[in-house]
Amino acid sequence: MNKKLLEASKVDRYVPAVLVAGALISALGFVLAFTVAPLVHGAAVTPELIAGQLVANQLLFSQKIFYFHVPVAMSSFIALIFTAFYGVRYLMTRDEGYDVRAKTATEVAVVFMIATMVTGVPWTRFEWGVWWSWEPRLTTYLILILMAIAYFILRTAFSDSEKRCSYASVFGIIMFIDAPICFMITRLIPSSTHPVVFRTDSGLPPDMLVPFLICMLGIVLIAFALYRVRLRQSLLSLRIERLKEELDELE
Amino acid sequence: MTGKVSAFKQFKILLGKDLRHEMRTHEMLTSMGLYAVLVLIIFGVAFAQLGKAVDVAHLSGGLVWVLIVFTSLLGLGRSFSYEKEASCIEGILLVPMDRSVIYLSKLVSNLIFLSAVEVIALPLFYFFFMTSVAPAPSFPYSIASVVLGSIGISAVGTLLSSITVNARSKDVLLAVLFIPVVFPLLYACVAATTAALVGADAWMETFRTGVLLAGAYDIVMTLASWVLYDFVISA
Amino acid sequence: MNEILNSVYGAVLPSAPYVIAAYALIWVALFVFVAIVIRGFKKSESDIALLEERVEELRTQKEAAEKER
Repeated sequence: MNKKLLEASKVDRYVPAVLVAGALISALGFVLAFTVAPLVHGAAVTPELIAGQLVANQLLFSQKIFYFHVPVAMSSFIALIFTAFYGVRYLMTRDEGYDVRAKTATEVAVVFMIATMVTGVPWTRFEWGVWWSWEPRLTTYLILILMAIAYFILRTAFSDSEKRCSYASVFGIIMFIDAPICFMITRLIPSSTHPVVFRTDSGLPPDMLVPFLICMLGIVLIAFALYRVRLRQSLLSLRIERLKEELDELE
Repeated sequence: MTGKVSAFKQFKILLGKDLRHEMRTHEMLTSMGLYAVLVLIIFGVAFAQLGKAVDVAHLSGGLVWVLIVFTSLLGLGRSFSYEKEASCIEGILLVPMDRSVIYLSKLVSNLIFLSAVEVIALPLFYFFFMTSVAPAPSFPYSIASVVLGSIGISAVGTLLSSITVNARSKDVLLAVLFIPVVFPLLYACVAATTAALVGADAWMETFRTGVLLAGAYDIVMTLASWVLYDFVISA
Repeated sequence: MNEILNSVYGAVLPSAPYVIAAYALIWVALFVFVAIVIRGFKKSESDIALLEERVEELRTQKEAAEKER
């Protein structure tokens, strides 16, 4: 049992700074997204000369949601990568410190998945006029949220620590493998009801790419800071529980 | 018995044990079969008001998979329960063998039981709901998607039921873990099955994509479950 | 307003509430998470207080036992 895994590490000294930096950077990205980035083209309308440029499409404001929606979505998936990684480390070493990290990573992932849904649904509402559609991204994230909830239910179902950690690690790995499969399958199967239309995330003009990357950086920093904070609190709880048990034994 | 027993022989013995147990008690087949028929009855109630106006063929792909998923949840839940009651698992673990042999034998036995129930339930489904229209000529292709889906369901389900057999609320926990994990497979299989059953234009496109994706899912998840099974059964 | 300008920019204002709601809800989600973490810290603090009390009790018991010898 590695004691070091249970204590705050040197990284934690920088966490407040990282959090503030993340908040500032995402704020900057937010401002840029609304000022500098151009509106995206929607449905076609009769062309008109506006400010010296020929505009032939309706300009969509709701696309601005994407500047935060995609970063939080990617952050949640990155968090899942860590869940699987720490799951593997636990299975290799049987050290509970890794299991706490896996659990914390999943918690952070859930928070960001909720953020993804919460931004995705208004976007869908405005683009397509419906509150929900079984399109790849929303569906995959719904399934992911259900799997993360299943992960936590699985953890509470076992009181034996070794079983709980092993099963949770295995399920965390399965979750991580299933996520891209779910996304690919829902994207590749032609759906007869909803034409799958995607904003081309590749080939963004620099006007939009810069705010997007700034938001991405800011949100990832925030996610990391939140992970460390939650980890510190979880480790503290774990150490206190162990102290209680030891005290009981000594009495 | 002298010398080491080969892995294949171990596999055959374990599989034989499950099949013989089933032959003697008929526990799984009767409960799964009855459950499948009951699900069909519920479908009947659900569609009682539809009359001839709705083309059930379009729904049929999805309905078949609803049937299969719920029936298999029942079967998977029970596949380990009798062993747990008799504490067989500890006994099996005492034998020095590769744990994946246990996984494979359980996978195959679950698959066999699921297929046996499907052989009864699917024609019944057809008899109850699809005789109002002539079947599309592409109809037999749906068997391929059913087979692939069943393999994937058994692969993932065996792993997950080994996890949940030790918990208090086994059945609910199994459903909660199983359904999200299996969702992509279902998505692909429903698309392929519906395409084959309806036989509309360009059905082969959707069918082929669905079948390929289901196959890919099967390969990936079976490998993952195989590798992870050791950690699960030894916990 | 010019008809065509209307059709070009017509989607901006109605969608604004949704965009604002989306961003606001992200922050709400993050703050809720932080609140949960803070609650965890508070519980840990009260647990530590309990542990300190127990250690005190044990120490006084031990001292009382040694005095009797």
